[in-house]
Amino acid sequence: MTDARKSQAQKISEVELIERAKQGDAEAFEALYHLHKRRVYSLCLRMTANTAAAEDLTQEAFLQLFRKIGTFRGESAFSTWLHRMAVNVVLMQLRKKGLPVVPLEDTIETEEEAPRKELGAPDPSLAGSIDRLQLQRAVEDLPPGYRSIFVLHDVEGYEHNEIAEIVGCSVGNSKSQLHKARLKLRELLKTSRAEKARKP
Amino acid sequence: MTCEEFERVLPENEGGHTIEQKSHLNSCSPCSDLVADLNAISEQARFLRDTDTDEPNPRVWNSIRIALRQEGLIREPESAPFLVHSQPRRRRLVWLIPAGALILLMFGVVQYKRAPVQLAAQKPVLSSATSEIADASSLDDQQLLEVVSKHAPAMRASYAANLRDVNSYIRDAEESVKIDPNDEQAQKYLMDAYEQKSIVYEMAMDRSLP
Repeated sequence: MTDARKSQAQKISEVELIERAKQGDAEAFEALYHLHKRRVYSLCLRMTANTAAAEDLTQEAFLQLFRKIGTFRGESAFSTWLHRMAVNVVLMQLRKKGLPVVPLEDTIETEEEAPRKELGAPDPSLAGSIDRLQLQRAVEDLPPGYRSIFVLHDVEGYEHNEIAEIVGCSVGNSKSQLHKARLKLRELLKTSRAEKARKP
Repeated sequence: MTCEEFERVLPENEGGHTIEQKSHLNSCSPCSDLVADLNAISEQARFLRDTDTDEPNPRVWNSIRIALRQEGLIREPESAPFLVHSQPRRRRLVWLIPAGALILLMFGVVQYKRAPVQLAAQKPVLSSATSEIADASSLDDQQLLEVVSKHAPAMRASYAANLRDVNSYIRDAEESVKIDPNDEQAQKYLMDAYEQKSIVYEMAMDRSLP
């Protein structure tokens, strides 16, 4: 079977699973869960940097999805709908904890979290030398507000107007915080590289 | 354009740079390095999704399933866990509604047709005396398992597991109905649960006949 046909067959299967799930078919629910669990879990893990929290949020995202599956009309892709739900669940949890979802414009949480101005001799460029694992670790070290925006935009591919709508901020704020998140990552990556270079 | 001015407008320039900004980049290596680094971070971030191999603990699905069952949003498949092997499927759909009265009928039919074992008294109707049902039920279950042990000892464990599961479904459903007696979904779920129990009994009795 060609890739296009496989993809078509998968889509049809998913449509069938959704219809069966709407009728309360337990196997259909389970199949939908297994189809999408990695994506949802990875999103939750990247945004929270905590395994236990990510599992709880994955559970909550799927529960909300399954409760509302009767209202799914197919106007958007099911995965998009699920993904958006997962994002909302994570952001709601961050708000409940009192963590900033997006730092207020031009306000820094703490001096430690703020990207520092570079002084002294410039470091060599990062371009071409960023390790995926290092980047993943650096993302985990970002403050929660920066992490949310960075994950949503650069990792998950949301546009600024979508982020603004989901998070409840302005497009300008979203762009500004993304820039600060990237600056902070740059700093973390350079520090990590410097530490590595110092080791014997 | 100074470096400060350039950095101030940088967040807005995702799509590209103005001529003035490009001119600054061409002549300023720190700003040029900064832009290159930020672009590299952004590009590499896209590939983090390729590492979506982590899976949540299996307990996540178990918790979801329990919650969905308690909320009456799912019906477990007819064939699992009750259809253990090659017993023919029983058609039980429309004529088992309303399930309360028809479960009584089922037990009556089973007793009349398949006598050798005296099962407990017929179960009361859906909405009343659920504690009586529980008492009668556990006595019935024991008797049923004794019958299965006698005639098909290899299947005893399987039927015991089936009864445990269906009793658990009944308890969950009863709980839901207790919380909201007007919840039609919960009532239907309870009827389904009793229906499934009657099927287990029917299958066990079929198997127990010489």
